[in-house]
Amino acid sequence: MATSPTSTLTPKKKEESFLDKLGGTLARKKKAKEVNELQEEGKNAIESPTSPALPDIGPEGYQLDENEERSMIEPQSRDDPKVRELIKMLLDWINDVLADDRIIVKDIEEDLFDGQILQKLIEKLAGLRVEVPEVTQSEQGQKQKLQIILTVINRILQHTPQWNQNKWSVDTIHCKNLVAILHLLVALARHFRAPIRLPDNVSVNLVVVTKRDGMLQPRRVAEDITTTNEDIGARFERDAFDTLFDHAPDKLNLVKKTLVTFVNKQLLKINLEVTDIDSQFHDGVYLVLLMGLLEGYFVPLYDFHLTPTDFDHKVHNVQFAFELMQDAGLAKPKARPEDVVNQDLKSTLRVLYNIFTKYKGQGF
Amino acid sequence: MDDIFTQVREGNAFQVRIWLDNTENDLNQGDDHRFSLLHWAAREGRTNIVDMLIQRGARINATNMGDDTALHLAASHGHRDIVIMLLHNKANINAINEHGNTPLHYACFWAQDQVAEDLVNNGALVGIANKFDETPLDKAKMRLANILKDRAVQLGQDLQKVPFKDRSWLGYKTRSRDALLSRHTGIDIAQLNLTSHIATTHSGEVWRGQWQGNDIVAKILALRECSVRNSRDFQEEFPRLRIFNNPNVLPVLACCNQPPNLVVISQFMPYGSLYNVLHGETGIVVDQNQALRFAIDIARGMEFLHFMDPMIPNMILTSKHIMIDEDLAKINIDDPKYYNPDGTVNGIDEDLTARVNMADYKFSFHEKGKLYTPAWMSPEALQRKPADINQKAADMWSFAVLLWELETREVPHADLSPMETGMKIAMEGLRLNIPPGISSHMSRLIKICMNEEPGKRPKFDMIIPILEKLKQK
Repeated sequence: MATSPTSTLTPKKKEESFLDKLGGTLARKKKAKEVNELQEEGKNAIESPTSPALPDIGPEGYQLDENEERSMIEPQSRDDPKVRELIKMLLDWINDVLADDRIIVKDIEEDLFDGQILQKLIEKLAGLRVEVPEVTQSEQGQKQKLQIILTVINRILQHTPQWNQNKWSVDTIHCKNLVAILHLLVALARHFRAPIRLPDNVSVNLVVVTKRDGMLQPRRVAEDITTTNEDIGARFERDAFDTLFDHAPDKLNLVKKTLVTFVNKQLLKINLEVTDIDSQFHDGVYLVLLMGLLEGYFVPLYDFHLTPTDFDHKVHNVQFAFELMQDAGLAKPKARPEDVVNQDLKSTLRVLYNIFTKYKGQGF
Repeated sequence: MDDIFTQVREGNAFQVRIWLDNTENDLNQGDDHRFSLLHWAAREGRTNIVDMLIQRGARINATNMGDDTALHLAASHGHRDIVIMLLHNKANINAINEHGNTPLHYACFWAQDQVAEDLVNNGALVGIANKFDETPLDKAKMRLANILKDRAVQLGQDLQKVPFKDRSWLGYKTRSRDALLSRHTGIDIAQLNLTSHIATTHSGEVWRGQWQGNDIVAKILALRECSVRNSRDFQEEFPRLRIFNNPNVLPVLACCNQPPNLVVISQFMPYGSLYNVLHGETGIVVDQNQALRFAIDIARGMEFLHFMDPMIPNMILTSKHIMIDEDLAKINIDDPKYYNPDGTVNGIDEDLTARVNMADYKFSFHEKGKLYTPAWMSPEALQRKPADINQKAADMWSFAVLLWELETREVPHADLSPMETGMKIAMEGLRLNIPPGISSHMSRLIKICMNEEPGKRPKFDMIIPILEKLKQK
């Protein structure tokens, strides 16, 4: 299995026969195969109702040192709709990013562990090149490659080594640990501000196994994969809004009120009114109209979607409003259109505040 | 090579027509001595070409370097029908050239008896003296002089000699244009002698300047950044705006394509736009007749533009995009009736011409997503892409708004901002009110042109005769 860079693209059968051909020279592989079978067996055992609820602990799980801990995902967690949604969203995002390379990732665990896709992903996202061999077949080679790639990623994410250690490592990724892979991808998506709105508060249940006195002792722990979405747009240098959110949430309402008053003074001229700043700007319509009102022009209705029906329409509208803002001499908004469309409050407020600052004193 | 001047001289009407149909050709251009096409046609007696040139808007009173008008040439060569034709088209009958001679001087000197009589019958003064203190009668043979004298007396002319007065300093003569003007397309911004900044608007910075001795206006387009692509589109689009062959279209003379500067150059028009003349403080009185003449001018200009194939897109018809040209050469500047007792000239606003300004064309990359004048635009033009509507019908709606403006002398929807105006027209059915006091004919015409159903609006060639009729009333 470990041979193909995008393993799901290759039928399993073929892979096995390929392995068979390699035969004795790659005994290690064979061992891995055996382990896989064992794993499968174990899984089946767990899933059958009669057997004790011992989770899939992976090949290494069986070889724990005294007091060593291993954690694995509880099988039910995999079927949690939120987890599935998260996985699908991450897959779509990766496929979006890698579309130019004609790479299609279908399985988040099977396709990422060998580092090949991760390499492409980080190269694309960060616009750099990671010098590693293109295709490696040996496990050791893969792990070396993964090590280099993860070092690069960790450097980009600027996480302390300890922090990363808890979330992902060469070993956990390579042994297709779903939790580690999810942590890594979520961190990347956040860092590179992927234009997606990850579901809030996704957590999985882990079974942590500790070996004590030669006995495996499991316990259940809930692990958070995502928390709230506050941090989507949080990748710029900290500004007044970060401070506001962090230190004076009570003043937030005051700011909102000021902005709503300012905006409504304009919008009421065309019989529109904003009541909820959080949700009424995300489709971009009011932003476009606001710019026209402030700058003294009419925006032809064919240049934007007055009644947007899907995400793309909304992104188009917000993007278009951003263009109008820049034409008016405003700084390029730090937020991305997608952030606003995804109703990231901080991004929306930043955009509005930017407008407010320019026009508040002009007697509008 | 047979250039257009040769064609005119030789009377090749067909070739001349083809040449005139090319929008880049300026029929008011002059040759090396600033003889215009009209001068040559009048001199050589090419009646059909004179007629053609007048129809296309040739300047009747343009002068050559010797300050001769076409009438001078027609009179001295005895082309009677051309003299009559020119006179019917407001040729200045008492125009004087650099020697102080009127057309009548020449008719008399060259013994064009018939022409001389025609001139006197049409008001030529027999008493005007030239630089050498000679009147036309001094130039005529005895017999003709007597006939003319009697006729003048019959017509009530004062035979008193009018002494020569050098008025060339007034600068009211309009020479034929520098032929080079229409030959240039791209020029260097450094060659434009930009002297004063006129205005900065949403569309760009407007400067006055001089270029090859011509008063020009240069508009530097306002762009956030000028990309290579913008520059390429600019290069592709501007040549079509150089329309020199219609009197009611004001051409773009040339452009400078020097990123980050994209500059559109046109002739300087002292009175500015129709909007300025109607609503600004120019002090020009636009009477009912002048308003109708403007309407006819605009309709003719639009008819011409609609006749082009393919049509030029993105021309938004509003009073701000119509320039008012003072065709000074049309005025009989030497005619005493235009002089006040103190020697100043009056009646300059008598013959103003409205011209659709091609420099106000909206480049495809310019001011994207912004319409500053929705009050003049049809509801469908505010809602649907230009490609998806009947552009000619949409222009007719704009023309109706212009008619309304010319009648009421008000700015349409003046109390609303563009965004309010546009939203209310497009979404809430806001329309202009036709106040009482407007003639029932005009009010009906406005309503027809502003039909809610674009397909039911008339074409420009259909309403020009109606406007002509209204003018005669």
